[in-house]
Amino acid sequence: MNTGKLRVFSAVVLCAIFVLGLFAGTVSPYPYAKQFRECPNAAPSSAHWLGTDSLGRDLFARLIYGTRVSLLLAPAAALLATMLAGILGGFAGLVGGWCEKVILAATDLSMALPLLFVLLALRALLPLDISPVLSVMATFTLLGLLGWPSSLRVVWAAAKNLRNSDFLLLARATGSRRSRIIVRHLFPNLRPVLFAQFWVSIPVFVLTEATLSMLGLGVIEPLPSWGNLLRGLEDISAVSANPWRLSPLVLLVLVVICFQLILPAQEETA
Amino acid sequence: MLRPLKNLALTALLALALPVRAQTGGELHFCLHGEPKTFNPILVDDEASENVRYLTGGVLIRLNRQTQALEPALATSWNISRDRRTITFHLRKGIHFSDGTSFGSEDVAYTMRLLMDPATHSTTGDSFRSGEGTVQVQTPAPDVAAITFPAPVAGLERLFDQAVILSAHSPKKEMAVLGPFYVADYKAGSYVLLQKNPHYWKRDAQGRALPYIDSVRLDIQRNRDIELLRFRRGELQLINRLEAEQFERLEHENPAVTRNAGTGLDAEEFWFSQSPAAPLPAYKKAWFGMKEFRKAISMAINRADLCRIVYSGYAKPAYGPVSPSNHFWFNAALEDPKYDPQGALRLLMQAGFRFENDTLKDRAGNRVEFTVVTNSGNAAREKIATMIQQDLSQVGIKVNVVTLDFPSLIEKITRTFDYDACILGLVNTDLDPNGQMNVWLSSGENHQWNPSQKSPATAWEAEIDKLMREQATAPTEKERKAKFDRVQQIVSEQQPFIYLINKDVLVAVAPSVVGAVPVVLDPWAFWNVDTLRLGPAPDLGVQK
Amino acid sequence: MRARIQRVVGRLLMLAAVGLLGGLLSASLVRFSPGYGVDEQELDFRLSQASVEAIRNSHRIHSGLLSYYGHYLAGAIHGDFGSSQWLQRPISSLIKERFPVTAKSALLGVSLAWLVALLISFAGVFFRGFYFDVSTTLISAVLIALPAAVVAIFSVYLRAPVFVAIAVVIFPKLFRYLRNLLNHAYSQPYILAARARGISQSRILFSHVLPLASPALFALLGVSLAVAFGAAIPIEALCDSPGVGQLAWQAALNRDMPLIMNLTLLVTLITVAANMLANIAQERAL
Repeated sequence: MNTGKLRVFSAVVLCAIFVLGLFAGTVSPYPYAKQFRECPNAAPSSAHWLGTDSLGRDLFARLIYGTRVSLLLAPAAALLATMLAGILGGFAGLVGGWCEKVILAATDLSMALPLLFVLLALRALLPLDISPVLSVMATFTLLGLLGWPSSLRVVWAAAKNLRNSDFLLLARATGSRRSRIIVRHLFPNLRPVLFAQFWVSIPVFVLTEATLSMLGLGVIEPLPSWGNLLRGLEDISAVSANPWRLSPLVLLVLVVICFQLILPAQEETA
Repeated sequence: MLRPLKNLALTALLALALPVRAQTGGELHFCLHGEPKTFNPILVDDEASENVRYLTGGVLIRLNRQTQALEPALATSWNISRDRRTITFHLRKGIHFSDGTSFGSEDVAYTMRLLMDPATHSTTGDSFRSGEGTVQVQTPAPDVAAITFPAPVAGLERLFDQAVILSAHSPKKEMAVLGPFYVADYKAGSYVLLQKNPHYWKRDAQGRALPYIDSVRLDIQRNRDIELLRFRRGELQLINRLEAEQFERLEHENPAVTRNAGTGLDAEEFWFSQSPAAPLPAYKKAWFGMKEFRKAISMAINRADLCRIVYSGYAKPAYGPVSPSNHFWFNAALEDPKYDPQGALRLLMQAGFRFENDTLKDRAGNRVEFTVVTNSGNAAREKIATMIQQDLSQVGIKVNVVTLDFPSLIEKITRTFDYDACILGLVNTDLDPNGQMNVWLSSGENHQWNPSQKSPATAWEAEIDKLMREQATAPTEKERKAKFDRVQQIVSEQQPFIYLINKDVLVAVAPSVVGAVPVVLDPWAFWNVDTLRLGPAPDLGVQK
Repeated sequence: MRARIQRVVGRLLMLAAVGLLGGLLSASLVRFSPGYGVDEQELDFRLSQASVEAIRNSHRIHSGLLSYYGHYLAGAIHGDFGSSQWLQRPISSLIKERFPVTAKSALLGVSLAWLVALLISFAGVFFRGFYFDVSTTLISAVLIALPAAVVAIFSVYLRAPVFVAIAVVIFPKLFRYLRNLLNHAYSQPYILAARARGISQSRILFSHVLPLASPALFALLGVSLAVAFGAAIPIEALCDSPGVGQLAWQAALNRDMPLIMNLTLLVTLITVAANMLANIAQERAL
């Protein structure tokens, strides 16, 4: 009962943040790129609710516009990565044999490869005068395409467990069709693992984008994202003097916690 | 005005405190900001190795970083022949390398041979190159060395400040040094430990052997915030160049440790690609090639805001290639252009651009829009780019900002020329403009806006070529200065590089370090390392 | 016996093949990445034209990828792994200097993370309850949401060693999987039956739940080792810990093809070996 309330509460918070991001244009008091040069690094005030950044841009405006970018694109990338991990991992776990070996070897390989260079190459291939939004989407798509290996082994282990479980043997023995087994038995049983992977990878993608923007591969200025807002934390001693700079991190942690609190519901229904 | 006064007072205090409190010995601890790539002074090209070279290497002539004058070091005296091709050094006698090998003119000959070997590709050696042919070194006596160059070299003596003398005979090769310290230990990625060189030649006024400090520990630390944290905890005694933001904060907390040495030599600059090989549309090339366009951009950039916001006020607007702190070479006659977006717009209209609905269009109706590239990971440059973006939007120009990692950026500006405009910093360690020959000659590799031209593309570039060649061979410094003043004038008229700011040299020195006098010349805080002392109690240093 | 030797040899061959494939792939990635063969030194205006040319040419030596790879293999057989373009030092000595640092932090980090994760998950089994559940979920969620970079910065600020940062990065993921595994195992019908029969909690845990979950646990052990090495790269780069991670980061920024190739080879070998050990253990368990 208690858990249920908590779940509803998290869902409400998440929805609120999501809506805030979607309607950033109307909620935000200022455009995200406008520099108020007379008051850089200002503390929160009635004019600037969360203060301003080092160029005098309104932090609240940047935060909600950044929410839009990150909350739309990170889950999309996470979905892509989880789907790939689910398909490949599920396949490897269920089919076994050399197929499994190849997929696992490929996973190990792609975890060890310096995929940074793929992203660098992408940035170089994109024309320089591409709009920030397009370049962000390209980056997140690539992140999604490259992000599957970390989830794969977990999915694979779960799928393998399933293959050896009794009810699947039973299903096979009763002559169920393969597609039916997959849809009716495998997917529902893998679902909690996949959901967990999906939720876990959302912050991972938000953060990967943050790291990438340090390399010039992430969201480009002046477009804000949680990632490049988090870069303000690099300078930790400045943060202790201006604690409101932590607001993007607080928002990120809040969103991830809400995701996690919703999660058990799906686990139980599975 | 208060700050220099405060520093002066501080220096005076420290000078007074010196005989009473300070003692010899102890370990000075500070950071290098990258891996030293080599300990061979001939091959040095990065800042970390340059720092180690300064601390360990012995040179014939030393440029006093404070007075900007040359002083005898391993050479007690020198003279230059009438044809300005030969320099004869009289060397100090009875000097030994750190490993005990004795020093003589053979070592000078050996060093020059290595430096000038065309296969070495040393930055130090290349600055001596003035013409085709080989460099001859005569050693008529163990304490006399005469070096003859194939052609006169502009500002010759000054170049010897970088030419660290190697031992021709020592079994330890380049690790045998003549400077105040020698490299005792090095752990890659972690630290370099320098120990006092027992054979260092220099003595103080009382005849005591220098340096006073026993050892220097240089931690390799790329992260400036970590460096600052460790300085605050008292683990480090020196920060050689702080970022403006860090400096401001530190000054707020503890004004006794921050020192602003004044405007430095390094500049941040902005330029448009004018290379005919650039894969850009013809109308863009036409804009970038237009003097009025470049001048209007320069006028529309609010440099005062850049200094105030990006550098917290610790920078000065820059308008030309020479920093005002380079007293001799700065052309003070040139007028500083004003920040004037309206004037910029007028200039653009005169050049045929049209300003409609807050957007700027050229004669053919193309919207004026370009992309500025800069290197990623440099927060200040990214901020500059973002601010320029807003400044230029006021004259209807749309600017995109793209940051690229360094190798990709260099590939674009030196190989493919696939970029519109670029912001980079010019690191300047040399006062003499002759060192910038490769930047100003139109055939130069570092003539960034249009490098390696077969023949000068414009009349003004041809004139700069001529002036630069003339200043290199002009007989007196005064004549050289007149030529280079004219170069500065052409650059300010044409704006091939739009100079933005000169950063202040900001350092932090713990109170326990006695005798530190940070200067604007490299290596800023520790140029007088051999006379630095460590106070007995780090927290008592200044107050006593 | 013979079959076992064959299997071991087969596995080692596979290991070597995957490792070399990784090396070749990463060499090609570097080779075709933008900015390959570019040296920052080219921007140094003190250098003469001839010197700039020479620097450019020195980078062209490696531009033929296949021939480079052939040379590399030939050298590697004799124990010569080439030398770094950026640091101009033999790669074997670079790795020898730095590998122990990273290995130590990764192993300590993994052990710490496992210790804490196991303790908390077991505690969760014994003290099932709303507040315990929610508070552990919250803690792990906060930790998951912290970027590795932020963890690294905090660890520097708090003077914590690198392995603690690695442990903090892998702990929340580890903990989530562990808890899900245990929950899954506890929801199996025969465990429910066992609990209904009043068998003691610890007996259920150690003689029923753990054996059931062990294949997944071993897979997780392999993954966590691999993840720890992966996490070491940004953390070491940010904390300036002189390990392989810092070296790899610098090598990537400097397009140092030989160094990156060798480092990838090393990391691939570690990942594949860790996973292989996990698989073997798992097969034993079954």
